[in-house]
Amino acid sequence: MTDATYKLPPQTPFLRKIQNSLFSSPLNTLLSIATAVFFIFIIVKFVDWAFLSSIWHAEDEPLCKEAGGACWSVIDARHRIIFFGLFPYEEHWRSTVACAVMITTIVASCIPWFWSAAKLSTLWLLGFCTFYLLMHGGLFGLSVITPERWGGLALTIFIFAAVSIIGMPLSIVLALGRRSKLPVIARLFGLFIDFFRSLPLLTILFTAAVITPFVLPGWLQGDKLYRVIVGFAIFFACYQAENIRAGLQAIPSGQDEAGLTLGLKYMQRVTRIQLPQAFRNSLPSIVNQFVITFKETSIVTIVGFFEILASGSAAFGTGKWTVYYIEVYVFIATIYFIFVFSLSRYGAYLERKLRVGHG
Amino acid sequence: MNNQLKRIKSRIIPTIATSCLAALALTSTSVNAANGDTLKAVQDRGSLLCSGHNGSFPPFVQVTDDNKWSGYDIDYCRALSVAIFGSEDDLKIVPISWAQRFPSLQSGDIDVVIKATGWTMGRDTELGIQFSVPYFVGATNVMMPKELGGTSPETLEGGSLCANAGTSTERLAANFFKSRGIEIEMITFEKSEETRDAYFAGRCDSLVGWGPNLAVTRQSAENPDDHAMMDVALALEPESAAMRQGDDNWVDIVNWMFAATWIAEANGITSGNVDEHKANPADSTVEKLLGVTPGIGERLGLSDDWAYNVIKQIGNSAEIFDRNIGAESVYKLDRGLNALWSNGGVIVPMILD
Repeated sequence: MTDATYKLPPQTPFLRKIQNSLFSSPLNTLLSIATAVFFIFIIVKFVDWAFLSSIWHAEDEPLCKEAGGACWSVIDARHRIIFFGLFPYEEHWRSTVACAVMITTIVASCIPWFWSAAKLSTLWLLGFCTFYLLMHGGLFGLSVITPERWGGLALTIFIFAAVSIIGMPLSIVLALGRRSKLPVIARLFGLFIDFFRSLPLLTILFTAAVITPFVLPGWLQGDKLYRVIVGFAIFFACYQAENIRAGLQAIPSGQDEAGLTLGLKYMQRVTRIQLPQAFRNSLPSIVNQFVITFKETSIVTIVGFFEILASGSAAFGTGKWTVYYIEVYVFIATIYFIFVFSLSRYGAYLERKLRVGHG
Repeated sequence: MNNQLKRIKSRIIPTIATSCLAALALTSTSVNAANGDTLKAVQDRGSLLCSGHNGSFPPFVQVTDDNKWSGYDIDYCRALSVAIFGSEDDLKIVPISWAQRFPSLQSGDIDVVIKATGWTMGRDTELGIQFSVPYFVGATNVMMPKELGGTSPETLEGGSLCANAGTSTERLAANFFKSRGIEIEMITFEKSEETRDAYFAGRCDSLVGWGPNLAVTRQSAENPDDHAMMDVALALEPESAAMRQGDDNWVDIVNWMFAATWIAEANGITSGNVDEHKANPADSTVEKLLGVTPGIGERLGLSDDWAYNVIKQIGNSAEIFDRNIGAESVYKLDRGLNALWSNGGVIVPMILD
């Protein structure tokens, strides 16, 4: 396409555009002004509460009651509980480094250069082992810290990463299985997916944490943390499988048949024709599922894990800090926001990238 | 913040869990539950698994600035660990939610629940739980400003009371004042934070709640000293440690662990002066308690100095109360009914013979 072939439509000037969309009639003008005033009011109030009238240092806590703004002293004094839960105080550097390693692993696996089975699996194996070694200890003179003392942001990230890394391959298997040409396989996979999708996550987690020890033999039980992660991953995989299946179904069956006539094997057709397109087709809902999963990690608190929300409640749940729960929740919300917003921006970037050649 | 509310909120999950559990308890010859020797299992494992909380429940279970558990219930977990191992280093606090308490106990995730747990018949008979003697009585009470000029129920005649809507506390308070012929206006709120704020904002003259929760609320007031508890309790709940049914020796150990802290208090033995008492025991009870004459350990399968260790490292019942809930803590709850009988409370130490 060159400029010569057509003319751009006439551009409306910027101010004119605003006038047209916001102030076109008296009613519109009124609504626009009212909304603007409302938002400005809220923003001013919030800025005043959070920044102008707020107290920042732990030792200034006595001033909080008169200040009228946020009392960030609680964060100053208790942020170690939010970040590290019950992790021993002297070993916090381990939890910090472990967190950094896991975040680096997640970010790195988002970079297209890493997108091959070999690179990705090496990366994750390395990331996971380092994380586990740092958190659990027991080697290189690090003291052993068992999972019931893990907590805070580190635990939230660990659960999210573990669920994703187990759940994602599983979801592909489930989606392909459900589309199998063999009716028995297809039905079985369908039944499996629908069974787990019809259970609330809470029930699955409770069963994994509390009921399975009654049923499984001792050597198969593992730690409660891993049982819960497996349960969570299955739940995640069943939902993600349906997203991927939607992507698979959007591909015209002619493509697969064309591959078949060219003599491509099943694995080749799946990895080169079906999955790449399926991912592109259902990318928004796949990213969506990751976002939901990140936020749902907070449910593990009900089976007694000290993830970031439980740590938050422990942070304000003592003595003079009991009244400053809003500050703690705002702080945790900000952490969630940073993670979830980055996730969704990455999803948008992927969509742009994968749209290449799609017009 | 309100105990009752929290319990109602978490009632749906326990119901599911409980029914699963009841079914399992019937069918399976449970893994750790029935075979009885918890003490041996704890000693073989080298650690005691005691209940914590998923978050905090001041003043019973909370977390210090340096990421350690503390609180009234935690102190008794520590005491139990000291009684068994001679040190609290072998104690593992497992974070569990309210809903998880009994299933986790049954599955062997924990050895004992010391977690502000009320002794009810349903739990005792249907869940396969055995309770210790009550180690704390939780009183539902009413808090009011001191400027009203008294702390009797009659002070509130014609006044108003803030309560959480739809809770058993609300009904309890309504019945309590009605039965005494005291006119009182109930103002109810959905959320316990709203209820608290309404009380502090002066929208009602008094606030009803579970005693320890009221104490936590009071210390957040602008001037905690301006508020007092009513001198009569509305209701009492005995809080006990919960253990798996069928392990009598384990129940004995927990019971006598509590008793040791009470007997020590009754005899004026504290963590500070326990060594003097051991050197010069005043009577045969003290001799037995501190292991000067043998017997207290062997009968439970512990060492003879276990009670001495508990008192030395954790303290007697007065010290544990004052440090976590009472005068030396920020909550400053009156010991009230939780004092020994000789000080006007309802705690009666068992006899050490």
